[in-house]
Amino acid sequence: MRLLLLLLASLALSAHAEAATLSVRVTDPAGAPVRDAVVTFHPAGGVKGPITFDWPYQVAQRDVRFEPYVLIAPVGAEVRFPNFDRVRHHVYSFSPGQRFELELYGRDETRSRRFEAAGVAAVGCNIHDRMQAYIVIVDTPFAAKTGANGEVTLPEAAGAGVLKVWHPAIRARGSAVTRPLTLSRAGAQREVMAVELRASSSAH
Amino acid sequence: MFTRLRTKLTVLYAGLFGGALLALSAIVYSAISENAARVVRSELQANGAVFDRVWALRESQLQDSADLLARDFGFRDAAASGDETTIQSALDNLRSRLQISRAFLIGLDGEVIGLGGVPEGAMAALWGALDAGGRPSGVLSIAGKPHQGVSAPILAPDLIGWVVFATELDHAHMRSFAALAAIPLDADVLVRTRSGGWRSTNPGAGEPDARAVASFLDGWNGQADNTPRRMRTPDGDAIALVKPLRSMQGGDEALLLLRYSLTLALRPYAPLLASIAALGLLSVGVLAFATWILARSLTRPIAALDEAVRALQSGRRTEVAVQTGDEIGRLAHSFNVMSGTIAERERRITHMALHDPETGLPNRRAFEDAIAGTDQGARATHVAVLSVDRYVQIRGAIGYGLVTGLMRELAAKAIDLKPGLMLARVGPDMIAVLFEARSDFEALRFAGALRAGLEGRLRVEDATVDVGLTAGIAAVRAPGDGAALERAAIAVEQARAGRRSDGAFDAGAYGDPARNLSLMSEMIDGLHRGDLVLNHQPKFDLRRGAVSGVEALTRWAHPTRGRIAPDLFVTMAEETGHIRALTEWTLIQAIGEQRRLRRAGHDLLMSVNLSGRLIDDHAFADMAINLIEDTGARLCLEITETAAMADPDAAIESIARYAAAGVEIAIDDYGAGLSSLSYLKRIPAHELKIDKSFIQTLAKGQREALLVKSTIDLAHGLGLKVTAEGVEDDPALTMLAAMGCDVAQGYLIARPMAVDPLIAWLANPPVQAGDRPALPAGSSAAG
Repeated sequence: MRLLLLLLASLALSAHAEAATLSVRVTDPAGAPVRDAVVTFHPAGGVKGPITFDWPYQVAQRDVRFEPYVLIAPVGAEVRFPNFDRVRHHVYSFSPGQRFELELYGRDETRSRRFEAAGVAAVGCNIHDRMQAYIVIVDTPFAAKTGANGEVTLPEAAGAGVLKVWHPAIRARGSAVTRPLTLSRAGAQREVMAVELRASSSAH
Repeated sequence: MFTRLRTKLTVLYAGLFGGALLALSAIVYSAISENAARVVRSELQANGAVFDRVWALRESQLQDSADLLARDFGFRDAAASGDETTIQSALDNLRSRLQISRAFLIGLDGEVIGLGGVPEGAMAALWGALDAGGRPSGVLSIAGKPHQGVSAPILAPDLIGWVVFATELDHAHMRSFAALAAIPLDADVLVRTRSGGWRSTNPGAGEPDARAVASFLDGWNGQADNTPRRMRTPDGDAIALVKPLRSMQGGDEALLLLRYSLTLALRPYAPLLASIAALGLLSVGVLAFATWILARSLTRPIAALDEAVRALQSGRRTEVAVQTGDEIGRLAHSFNVMSGTIAERERRITHMALHDPETGLPNRRAFEDAIAGTDQGARATHVAVLSVDRYVQIRGAIGYGLVTGLMRELAAKAIDLKPGLMLARVGPDMIAVLFEARSDFEALRFAGALRAGLEGRLRVEDATVDVGLTAGIAAVRAPGDGAALERAAIAVEQARAGRRSDGAFDAGAYGDPARNLSLMSEMIDGLHRGDLVLNHQPKFDLRRGAVSGVEALTRWAHPTRGRIAPDLFVTMAEETGHIRALTEWTLIQAIGEQRRLRRAGHDLLMSVNLSGRLIDDHAFADMAINLIEDTGARLCLEITETAAMADPDAAIESIARYAAAGVEIAIDDYGAGLSSLSYLKRIPAHELKIDKSFIQTLAKGQREALLVKSTIDLAHGLGLKVTAEGVEDDPALTMLAAMGCDVAQGYLIARPMAVDPLIAWLANPPVQAGDRPALPAGSSAAG
């Protein structure tokens, strides 16, 4: 027990002292890269201070599509929903805890909404079924979505925590898989997360 | 098979036509039923396609409704927020509006909403199918009942579950589907049972039908080949099409069975088939009847002919009525002619058999039949035979033709005298009559009267003949005693012999020819048995005064009839040809006995009589000569002069052969027959035996003595030794000796005796050598 406490203490110290780079590659069981997967690292000790990301908290509607498909936003962020289309959209989400509805609004109009709790909001348009987007509200600064190569890099993450991968098609409760992870003090650490995807998800 | 032509024709024709009709009916029925089956098949196939379309249409409607619901914003809101009450009410509302059996929601986690009364786990398989994606639709079994189901995912906008709509495929539903078909199909959905079999959803389907379906499906290969097949059901054959229905959850849970009864399919043709059958039966009936009528008219004359031929066969004369001019008519006519001819011929044959062809009078056969027909009453039936005297001479005088006419005239005259008399010509010169008489005497009187009536001058055509008749009668001893006729004929002979005009049959005078005939076979037996013996009569040499030889005579002591006269059996043996055996036996016996005599010290010449019938028998001569040469016997063959004359050349040649062989030849009984000097000259004889008739009358007068004396001289002149036969008294012997006769034979010398007495007699002969022929007193009386 004493040893464990000692270990934890040392980890906490090291996390502050030095930061490492975590590279995660998300693949399906066959090894193919999974795009638009949200990879988050949740340190055991929690996160302090405001969380910001360097991308706009915005889900635009352009060409009858949501853009981006997956948006990562911190808790409390106000996400804007600008409409660049000539048609009007009726943006909504029925996701538990993230319910909202932006009644029909037109071109170059912007609606915004503040997301107060962590979670995933599946966003759709009541008029256009095929429009779909996900807003992942995170409470950790260590979050990124995979690109076409299925990889993300989470800088400056360190210490013990939980690595979580979320994707709308993951065949798991909450469409997410987690893994406990202890990041070393220095250097780059690579992780591979193989996830099982639903064969046919909802229409994109 | 058929004994009657009529039956044969009827059965044949009716059978033939019926068979043809039956075959035709079978073909028609087969064609119709094939056609019906084909129609049903194509209809079933068409309906299978229609069903697919209807199914698809129905599914598409359901699908649209499900999709609509799944996209409804409010419903999605409710579903996403897990508002079960709202969801339930929305589903209920929609179900009643769309009139679908079941509408429910399955969440992504398998939770089912809106399916009351169904256990949670029951939808696990469905959830699996839904989760696998691809919007499954098809047959869905809910609470054991088949449903047509569709599903639609609920996207909010993420997939949160599925809406499932299902319509029960109950029987009413299937009926409404079947109503779409042009023919009244039977559509049934079958679901898989736990045991792997199939269960009908038709509540009205009975157990036998279920078994028929099960049996049919056993034979189904499981392929959805859309090929209708024949199915046997309790109500007759049906054509059935199986369509496996796609299951919503995978697997083969349900089948669509479309079928149509062939009985129903054939029902429209039933009146047609019935008409054909009725027409066929009617035709066969009419044909059978018509054939029967025709056959009867055709066969009636044949049957009549058949009957007539049978009658003719059994001897009855029949005629067949000729009714038609065809072959049968001609046959009947020919038959009648033939029948008539046969009857006429039969009559002629009968007449010929019973009548004399020359005179037309009844013949011997007819007369015998008449005798057979008599019945023996108080008046005995008699037969009289009237024979024309000197018939041969009369025939020679007036010729055959007229003598036949004469017999006819006699018969006619007899009928005139005694009308109704049974009369027949039983021989060329004999007319027999049959009559009744109380006694032979009365019969004889009757016959005499009739004979007297017929005798006298008779005119036959141009000739006039004086006819004399002899009548003989005999009684018919028993019915059918045909021999009576023969006896009457013999009576005629007997009457003629007695120089009488009428005579009754004298059985005593006639003897018994049959018995005499059997005598010969008894004689042959007697030869072997020793019934016949040789007796020897010594021949006394007058010159030497000693016995020089013996004549062997055959004697027969019959075991039952006593002594048989030699004349009788020898004559009979000559007539029946048994003389050869008898003579052969005599030769052998004589040779043997001569040897005995020789052993007893008496060397005597043995004389044996040779029948005239055997003289010219060369085979016998060969045998006899061989025998004599072999034994070295000294024999003399005595030949009767008359016999020698029968075939002179052959006889003389034969006699010469005997003589050449050293056999002496004696001419026997000389002078009794018609003695010929020329033959006497030709025969190389050694001895002449003067017949006893001359010797016995020798002492009667000068004339007789002179005849014997000159005969002796004649013989001596020819170089023959002379033997006198039948020497019975001393004066004759003395005279003969004086005349120069060489040998004497007769009772005076000795009677014929067997060999043993002969030896005894020779030991003490009554005459001694050198004596004058004088005999002891004891033997002189022997004759």
